[in-house]
Amino acid sequence: MTVRISPRLVVVFLAACVVGAFGGLFGVGGGILFVPLLVLGFGFGQHRAQGTTLVALVPPTGLLAFVNYARAGQVDWRVGLLLMPGVFLGGIAGARLALRLAPRPMRVLFAALVFLAGLFEVYASWLR
Amino acid sequence: MTAGVVEVLLLGLAAGLLVGLMGVGGGIIVVPLLVHVLGFAQHLAQGTSLFLLLPPIGLGALREYWKTGDVDLPAGIACAAGALAGGYGGSLVALWLPARHLKALFGIFLVAAAILLLRQVLARPDATGDPEPGGESGS
Repeated sequence: MTVRISPRLVVVFLAACVVGAFGGLFGVGGGILFVPLLVLGFGFGQHRAQGTTLVALVPPTGLLAFVNYARAGQVDWRVGLLLMPGVFLGGIAGARLALRLAPRPMRVLFAALVFLAGLFEVYASWLR
Repeated sequence: MTAGVVEVLLLGLAAGLLVGLMGVGGGIIVVPLLVHVLGFAQHLAQGTSLFLLLPPIGLGALREYWKTGDVDLPAGIACAAGALAGGYGGSLVALWLPARHLKALFGIFLVAAAILLLRQVLARPDATGDPEPGGESGS
């Protein structure tokens, strides 16, 4: 397939730079930000946004951020390694479940996760 | 920090379910889990989360979405490139910043995004809304 560099792709790239900065700042991969970005900013359907976001997670996009944390000694290697197989297998099961859901409940479920994650961040930073 | 092996394996499985279900990277789930279930300090949790995300752990989930055609490859690659560049800058800032207020702002941002996402579906109760999985051809 040929990948044409359309203006839309450039805008997606620039938006992803900003999102990536947030990812590095909070130690998240950025997926929770990419899905709303694609849905609200670029009119993607919910499932397509989720599938596309998973592409962004295949290359080690957090590598440079990770190097900074590793240098600072802020990595628990054992726990990180132990988490990997579960996340991989759980991911397959979760994706199968997602693709059985109709778009509306999928969207509501995703919004609920983002909402709870947001509330949690506020609670953990200011109210505790 | 001596978390049990089984405990950590199960935590990974739970986080993975959400990764596939929501198409998110896992960090948003793994960091709170590490902090509040295993008692990690914030920076250690974030560094471990980034370590966890180095191998393509979402590849199995991606394959499922790929089968139904719910993937826009060029847009995904653009997101990946942006995340790589942005992540470097963000992590440098994070390591010297007392992130308390920024994290709360991040939380408020997430809540706002959730409301926008919900409003979009609730505003058109009779509309079909998003296409069914696999129902959308190339954009």
